[in-house]
Amino acid sequence: MATADFEPRIIGFLCNWCSYAGADLAGVARLQYPPNVRIIRVMCSGRVDPQFVFKALAEGADGVLVAGCHPGDCHYADGNYKTMRRFHLMKKVLAQLGVEEERVRLEWISAAEANLFARIMQEFTEELRRLGPFKPGRKLAAGGEG
Amino acid sequence: MRRITIDPITRLEGHGKINIFLDDTGAVKNVYFQVPELRGFEKFVEGRPAEEVPQIVSRICGV
Amino acid sequence: MGKLKIASYWAAACGGCDVAILDIHEKIVDVANIADIVFWPVATDFKEKDVEGYPDGYIDVTLFHGAIRNSENEHYAQLLRRKSKVLVAFGSCSMMGGIPGLANFKSRDGILSRVYLESPSTQNREGVLPQTRVEVPEGELELPYFYEDVKTLADVVDVDYFMPGCPPAPHQIWAVLQVIASGNLPPKGAVVGASDKSLCDECPRVKTEKKVKKFYRPHEIIPDPEKCLLEQGIVCMGPVTRGGCGAQCTRANMPCRGCYGPLDGVVDQGAKFVSTLASIVDADTPEEAEEIIGKIVDPAGTFYRFGLPGSLLRRARNA
Repeated sequence: MATADFEPRIIGFLCNWCSYAGADLAGVARLQYPPNVRIIRVMCSGRVDPQFVFKALAEGADGVLVAGCHPGDCHYADGNYKTMRRFHLMKKVLAQLGVEEERVRLEWISAAEANLFARIMQEFTEELRRLGPFKPGRKLAAGGEG
Repeated sequence: MRRITIDPITRLEGHGKINIFLDDTGAVKNVYFQVPELRGFEKFVEGRPAEEVPQIVSRICGV
Repeated sequence: MGKLKIASYWAAACGGCDVAILDIHEKIVDVANIADIVFWPVATDFKEKDVEGYPDGYIDVTLFHGAIRNSENEHYAQLLRRKSKVLVAFGSCSMMGGIPGLANFKSRDGILSRVYLESPSTQNREGVLPQTRVEVPEGELELPYFYEDVKTLADVVDVDYFMPGCPPAPHQIWAVLQVIASGNLPPKGAVVGASDKSLCDECPRVKTEKKVKKFYRPHEIIPDPEKCLLEQGIVCMGPVTRGGCGAQCTRANMPCRGCYGPLDGVVDQGAKFVSTLASIVDADTPEEAEEIIGKIVDPAGTFYRFGLPGSLLRRARNA
């Protein structure tokens, strides 16, 4: 359960062309945001195999962020559309496996949206702090298939 | 009292164990048959689509 | 060289793997020529005590079927590991949890309660649940402990080879038995008796472009017998499933459910199928994607039909 000194671990898969540049800009602009995210740069959010998200959760992440270019802006034309479709299905599977909806997020962040990136990290960290640590296989009190 | 344990019982599908208790004269006093196996099909078909259930429950017994 | 000593054991299984071994038909006589069976509960009358009496490493090859559901399954896994030179996780249950692994969507309490207390055909007014030990007037009786989670064979002991299938196809079993007899064993950890290409590679259906606007359940469509099932909007796990079975299901108009497990390089067959299936959804807006994907019923129970215990997340957390 959530404790005051719990620091969530977040894995962020950011696309090279927009979201990683957005996060970089947040740093250059010295925007303050919680240091809980470990960023992994991928060439496109469409490169994020759902296995990456499952593996992150299985190996200690409390939350996973997938971020890419806004729809229409993908460097590879439609990579982020694939991400969007996968994300819908992945959320359904994760819900059946008892992973809280809030733990996995998809965001569109452009290279100019440093403020948005910082705000999302702020929100996400707080949200996960409320949810508490993610323990795969650990029973929750209620919900799911039962 | 003497006890004869047959474990596993063989040449059938499934897991079984028999304990036979004999009295001092060697006559059978009591016999216990146990099934040390449970998979829980009754429970885990819940939530599966109806059309998938025949394929799932066909794995109750493959013999 | 003396005759090989072979054992075959079932843990949480259905016996289908044992029958698949017999499905090599008259070749079983050839097996009898090269090997002696030293333990095989479905077919021979060896007892646990006989196996315990064998020296360590006495058995050349053990084909171990079934998942690890309770303490007895684990006990036999350890016993047979000790007594065998080569241990094969034989069949989907042993390799990745199989159908009994669907129990990882549920809790131990939920299963026991459903089976022993709520089942309409069970009379159990005192609400008795299985106990690992019980005193009877004549002495003490024991039952194995029913674990919280279903595990794979490799979760509890060191496994030499993995042979997938529910059950493994008889022609593959025969091929593997011949390899065993030859003594030319593959490197440890290999998946044997299967292809290294996907099921689609051996499925005879015509494949063109995969773009799906609607997914169907069986009562909503009569599938074209020539065309790829997935292209017709029928959820088929062929693309993420190892071939080698001869595509028996898709040849019979039944979609693949993935019993041969993931391909090399894939850790989590279910997560991989999320990627495959979503990629062929023909939608450009989140709303449209939502609607098309919404027609897929029970995705987790379908994508992890045979492999939840062996997957990355292993079980449903909230069950």
